[in-house]
Amino acid sequence: MTKDELSTEIKYPPCKLACPILTDVREYIQLIAERRFEEALASIRNLNPLPRVCGRICTHPCEAACKRGQVDEPIAIPALKRFAADGPWKGRYKAIMPDKSTGQKVAVVGSGPAGLAAAHDLALLGHHVTIFEALPVLGGMLRVGVPAYRLPKNVVDEEIQAILDLGVEVKTGVRIGEEIKLTDLSEQGYKAVFVAIGAHKDRKLGIAGEDGFEGVVSAVSFLKAVNQGENPKVGKKVAVIGGGNTAVDSARCLLRMGAETVHMVYRRSRDEMPAAKEEIEEAIHEGVQVSYLTSPVEIFGEDGNVSALRCIKNELGEPDVSGRRIPKSVPGSEFTIDVDMVIAAIGQAPDSSFLDNELTERDKRIYVEDPYALMTTHPGVFAGGDAVTGPATVVEAISAGKRAGISIDLYLRGEPLPTTEQMEAVETAKLSPALIEKTRKFARCSKISLPAEARLKGFDEVDAVLSEDLATKEALRCLHCFLGARIDKEKCISCLTCVRVCPLGIPTTTKMGEIAIDPFACQACGMCVLECPVRAIDISLDPHSKIAREIEWAISRSQQVEPVIVGFFDLHGNFRSSDVESLRQDYPNILPVMVFGLRRVDTSDILKAFEFGADGVLLAGCPSDTDPFPETADRVKRRMAHARTMLEALGIDGARLEVCDMPDEGLVEKELIDGLIQRIKGPGQAR
Amino acid sequence: MIVLEQKKFQEIEKMTTGYNRLLVLGCETCAAMSFAGGQRQVAELASAIRVARKTTGEQGEVLEEAIARQCEPEFVDLIKDEVSGCDAVLSLACGAGVQMLAERFQDKVVLPGCNTTFLGVTEELGVWSERCAGCGNCILDKTAGLCPIARCSKQLLNGPCGGSMNGKCEISKDVDCVWQLIIDRLTRLNRLEMLEEIFPVKDWSPAGHGGPRKMVREDLKS
Repeated sequence: MTKDELSTEIKYPPCKLACPILTDVREYIQLIAERRFEEALASIRNLNPLPRVCGRICTHPCEAACKRGQVDEPIAIPALKRFAADGPWKGRYKAIMPDKSTGQKVAVVGSGPAGLAAAHDLALLGHHVTIFEALPVLGGMLRVGVPAYRLPKNVVDEEIQAILDLGVEVKTGVRIGEEIKLTDLSEQGYKAVFVAIGAHKDRKLGIAGEDGFEGVVSAVSFLKAVNQGENPKVGKKVAVIGGGNTAVDSARCLLRMGAETVHMVYRRSRDEMPAAKEEIEEAIHEGVQVSYLTSPVEIFGEDGNVSALRCIKNELGEPDVSGRRIPKSVPGSEFTIDVDMVIAAIGQAPDSSFLDNELTERDKRIYVEDPYALMTTHPGVFAGGDAVTGPATVVEAISAGKRAGISIDLYLRGEPLPTTEQMEAVETAKLSPALIEKTRKFARCSKISLPAEARLKGFDEVDAVLSEDLATKEALRCLHCFLGARIDKEKCISCLTCVRVCPLGIPTTTKMGEIAIDPFACQACGMCVLECPVRAIDISLDPHSKIAREIEWAISRSQQVEPVIVGFFDLHGNFRSSDVESLRQDYPNILPVMVFGLRRVDTSDILKAFEFGADGVLLAGCPSDTDPFPETADRVKRRMAHARTMLEALGIDGARLEVCDMPDEGLVEKELIDGLIQRIKGPGQAR
Repeated sequence: MIVLEQKKFQEIEKMTTGYNRLLVLGCETCAAMSFAGGQRQVAELASAIRVARKTTGEQGEVLEEAIARQCEPEFVDLIKDEVSGCDAVLSLACGAGVQMLAERFQDKVVLPGCNTTFLGVTEELGVWSERCAGCGNCILDKTAGLCPIARCSKQLLNGPCGGSMNGKCEISKDVDCVWQLIIDRLTRLNRLEMLEEIFPVKDWSPAGHGGPRKMVREDLKS
């Protein structure tokens, strides 16, 4: 099955499909929208042991795939992930521990994201895991590579601690290959080894003067020193060579450590720069200068120290195998910049020298037979992460760790290892211009960041976590790919109601009345679900049956405080979860049922509430400026008028049904509730 | 389609009183398309009856069911078990469906929950209007595709009466004079001379005036 078929078959939303570990982004975003924050965290954390890390430094391929990106701007997924992972509920997550230990020992070499993810998953499968770490600290590049202003050290420490709390043992300061050979591990009872040593060795620039002067430093060693608080010596005028995230991290650290000018030298143009776009923007914002289309030629020195860097300008030629255009130097364009320090950040390779003769290598990287099974040429020895792929992203490393966890578990149980599934990147389907036009635009939440001057005073985290208001608002921008209307063709009578009520014009019909609803284009407003006269349409985002169940559930839990009122509240309103809590406290007689729009409440639901024993029903719709489908509001109002007529026919005062708009902020006006209660208690009932 | 409308609730409540175990039976074709008797309206009405019974204290269960078409014996027979377990069936079909139920379930009380109104079209969601009177002898070829039998208040065949004012019928300003529409359309088609042909007195026997209608196709029947 190709990934394309897979995506239609299983209907993975593009965000999930784009994630190397298939995080159910849509699910946790929906949970945030429903103000179920703890469950949102659990949704992330069940799959990813490092959500707070990923909420800060993941390269979020999910965002590039987001359907909303075709309409205005994609959902701010990393910010939402961080919100879910960082909230005060974060300590409440409890992993599901295995019933019993398998008694099998597994060694994990390296404590970066790959090693941590493998250790986490293997521990939860009941294996006894020991992590061997060459450095005195845990976390690999998360600890010694990524600067604290992007990823505070306590975040790394806390996430690691949660993994260690699963019973994972740690041996720091032990370099496998030196004190202990890989082969020794099996003698010590380890039945499998996962080598995840990362890529910590900077490539050499390969230019004259590189080795001759004080002040030419490799980026990894520089960042390592900075991150371990060693306060390395920093020049006044520094050139950073390279255009990846390591280069940008080095440059931004240099500014924080007193460098007066920091000059990045990159051989291609900005479009080809491999560093994350936001990172480049932040660096420039903080004052880093970038020379694009420039290559270093030679480093000059005076008295043993670096004094200048000679560069040459490039132009771009034909694309190479990676698809990036090859830079060609322009003859006679050489120029010199005065510098007293040069940082080389042109890529890293694994420092696998100590594994000589133990594992096969290719281009300094550890060779694995199958990128899914991750077993090396040495049975029982697995490898993954940057050590196998070369420098990549944190989520790719976590993905490798998780794959290794699966493979090692199968290996230990003597079962065949998985083989690579052909998973090629799939582009998100394109929305029609007409649909883009009809889709209501909502501005993406803006980042809250420290001002540049404040940042440069130290290593304080630059970006702040979203507030609850902003996070729910942002989550409500989700367009619910593949959660929308599905037609039961056996029930459909081709009445065309769905075609007529859809605010976006998505259902189509053939001449013979076969109705189709594009599951990717549908935004799950729910209009057709209720209006369908034969109930042939259902929806995955809050199916109609769920709403009926919730009414019943709410009433069954009623504390018998009269009058019993079922309150339907539109999740698109500007309220906080604490507003719902205070409503529960102030009015224990109001039983809240949260819905994605009042569109989702049918006359029969209102009648059901009365049937189950409610004395009144309150419907509070969101303010129109937050309603994603304002064009349906009038139809919904008329439906409620019909419901009121029905009630009157039954001899129930129509005033027991209150339909209102929510205030600009908060859940509902108190006077309104009091008025409804008064009407129910007072006279005016026909029977 | 056959257009139906659900009866007023009070009437339904009155006719169903005393039948403790009541089956509300939907019809998933014309009645559903008229928003009078599909599953959605079955749920709504059944719920309403339950609420009303709560207030009146009437006991018994209100059940919900629906079939594709109540006018077909095979569909009707599929629900005989449900029907046998109840005291009465409240049918949300047209008159034809109600009578089919009565025929198939000889010993069961069958009640109509809808009024059958007309043969018509959907102008837009929620708006239907009459187009055909089922007169059994179509003349639309002579009247520019607009039916004076169904749409002229007086069923006139040879032009409008004196009550046609500004294109509207004298019975209401909301009713188009169909003869005005016929003349306008024939003018557009450049076929106005067609009106020179005088319609003879209409034979109403195919319209049912000759007794209940029945149609038999020898080639199809068993």
